[in-house]
Amino acid sequence: MRRYTGSFGSYLSPSDSSSRAIADLSPNLVAQALENPVKYLPVSVASTQNLVVQYGSFVALNDLTVEIPEGCTGLLGPNGAGKTTLLKTILGFVTPAAGSGSVLGFDIRSQGREIRQRIGLMPEQDCHIPGMSAVQFVAYAGELAGMPGEQAIRRAHEVLEYCGLGEARYRNVETYSTGMKQRIKLAQALVHGPKLLLLDEPTNGLDPAGREDMLELVRSVSHGKGLNVVISSHLLPDIERVADQVIVVMKGQLRVQGMIKELKKIAGAPMDVELIEHSDPFATAMRSRGATIEELTHSRYRVQTNQTPAETGKLVLSAAREVGVQVRGLELAERSLEDAFLDVIGAPPAQHPGGFQL
Amino acid sequence: MASTPIADLSYRNYDGELTSTNNRWWVIAKSTMRMAMKKKAIWIYAILSGFYYVAMIIVLFVVDQMTQNVVPGQKSPVSGFLNSIQWKDQFVTGFSYGQIWFLAISLVIGAGAIANDNRANALLVYLSKPCDKRDYLFGKWLGVFLPLFVVSATPSLVFYFYGAMSYREMGFLSSDPWLILKLPLMLAIGSAFHASIVIGISSMFNQGRMAGAVYSGFYFITNFFTQLMTIAWLAAQGGPRHRGEGAPEAVKNLIGKLYYSSVDGLNIGMSKGIIGTKGSAAFGIRSPIEMVPAPSLMFSLGTIAIISSLMMFIAWRRIRPVEIVG
Repeated sequence: MRRYTGSFGSYLSPSDSSSRAIADLSPNLVAQALENPVKYLPVSVASTQNLVVQYGSFVALNDLTVEIPEGCTGLLGPNGAGKTTLLKTILGFVTPAAGSGSVLGFDIRSQGREIRQRIGLMPEQDCHIPGMSAVQFVAYAGELAGMPGEQAIRRAHEVLEYCGLGEARYRNVETYSTGMKQRIKLAQALVHGPKLLLLDEPTNGLDPAGREDMLELVRSVSHGKGLNVVISSHLLPDIERVADQVIVVMKGQLRVQGMIKELKKIAGAPMDVELIEHSDPFATAMRSRGATIEELTHSRYRVQTNQTPAETGKLVLSAAREVGVQVRGLELAERSLEDAFLDVIGAPPAQHPGGFQL
Repeated sequence: MASTPIADLSYRNYDGELTSTNNRWWVIAKSTMRMAMKKKAIWIYAILSGFYYVAMIIVLFVVDQMTQNVVPGQKSPVSGFLNSIQWKDQFVTGFSYGQIWFLAISLVIGAGAIANDNRANALLVYLSKPCDKRDYLFGKWLGVFLPLFVVSATPSLVFYFYGAMSYREMGFLSSDPWLILKLPLMLAIGSAFHASIVIGISSMFNQGRMAGAVYSGFYFITNFFTQLMTIAWLAAQGGPRHRGEGAPEAVKNLIGKLYYSSVDGLNIGMSKGIIGTKGSAAFGIRSPIEMVPAPSLMFSLGTIAIISSLMMFIAWRRIRPVEIVG
């Protein structure tokens, strides 16, 4: 049983080694948190306030205020939106021109090393240390993050086994296939037990089976393992598959942020009805009940009323009973994430950054 | 029969110790050295780099034997040899003879140190961990410097202690009591020079072989130039029949400086300056040719410092966090 619920859970859970969990937070934050845990423990793993990042005269992030919540978050945006710069800033590679930010309670301006010790990055490009076997590479990555040598070796074996490279761990990484290289990148990012994992196009170059495996790996580490994940991808189905929430940035500004479920909802909460067969009397019966009805496919309809979904459901069932047609399915209608994304990037910037709105 | 493995392969978070985020350079240096030690060529070059000292010890041993076998009352034909040896010159000569092997070692360890990382995007791995450019660059530099220093210092110090124990009464220690301090300084500067150049050149390429070829080219072309200056120096002396009728002093000084304008030359000039000698021919043999006088220690050290700094500056500029998202 967790000591705190929701956002706090993964930080102070008795199942974690609590000393390590607390050690992952900055000392000031821990002191404040112990004094008044409900007030001070972070509800987000990273946040920025009015962040401005410039490359010369080009403004890459423009007054960006965003909070990355715990769990698995998809980072979406068209090319040049500022996703790269946001990740770079989180990693401390880029110094902001204005604004502030923190990652796991550490300041992005002055505590880059502390942040990077607690972050795992799986970059988009192939990357490895030349001349090393997989186990040497992953252990070395662990040592670079601060793990003692023996622990790093032991952990490298574990992580490689978990990432499905157990059989190939003594092979030189340069001989790996594309799929194996993606896995080794994930392994080196996981070896030191990061609290935040940044995944950049993790399924790039993978065949369907490899993509499936990679998404399964990402989903498994990001759910119930105390590991928060930010996944940047152009593939919306990938994001939809593994992430619980998304952040959409465009032109360096937050466009929208929220749970994927919320984003996919359609205004007015229409319901999709699947009948056993096409039925014009059903449509007529629904219209007589004040509903608008749209035929989606031969036997599938979208029904909208000005009532709650539960009441709309009752209307559907009563109409079906009246005309004598069998209802095979009834669910709340929702858009695809792609439709939601296209709507979002055409909409004006969010007025209340951090809110779950669309 | 169950098809699942017996071991629990599910992901578990790491709750163990994480050391301080400082001094990541030492992890990088250790790894660079560990990789280097696995290469057989390093060990072969290391042995060859000390060959002058081994040969000198053999010569001294033979001379000792000949001296002991002389019938009492007779004068040994080699009795004057030991007294005429300039002991400290032997270290300059040994250092000079080892240069080609130091080059080879620095190529094997250092040419690919950054170049291969560039090819494999390894900087993304390094810089996404709690390391920064300083850690990376210093770690790589130290990973080349330390093996070079150990390889060059080991035979020198072995010879020093052999000489100190066997030839103390022949002025080995009294000729320069500070030699034991000057030696490590000389060897450290020489190793640092090689390490800085090779790291700087390595950072400019994406292939270790290319970086190695460029450093080798630079080394041998400047050495060839030095050989040309040897001919110019002999001509400037006026030849044996026209002693004193050579070129003006200013020309000789210029030739003298140009003679030391190579990687080898700068190192040898620096070693002569630090040890405090004009140098002499190998194995204590009297040379018929006047040695080219070394430039001042300040000139050698200054040039070495400028070239090393330039190379490290180039490496510093070349190392940067690369694009994360394409």
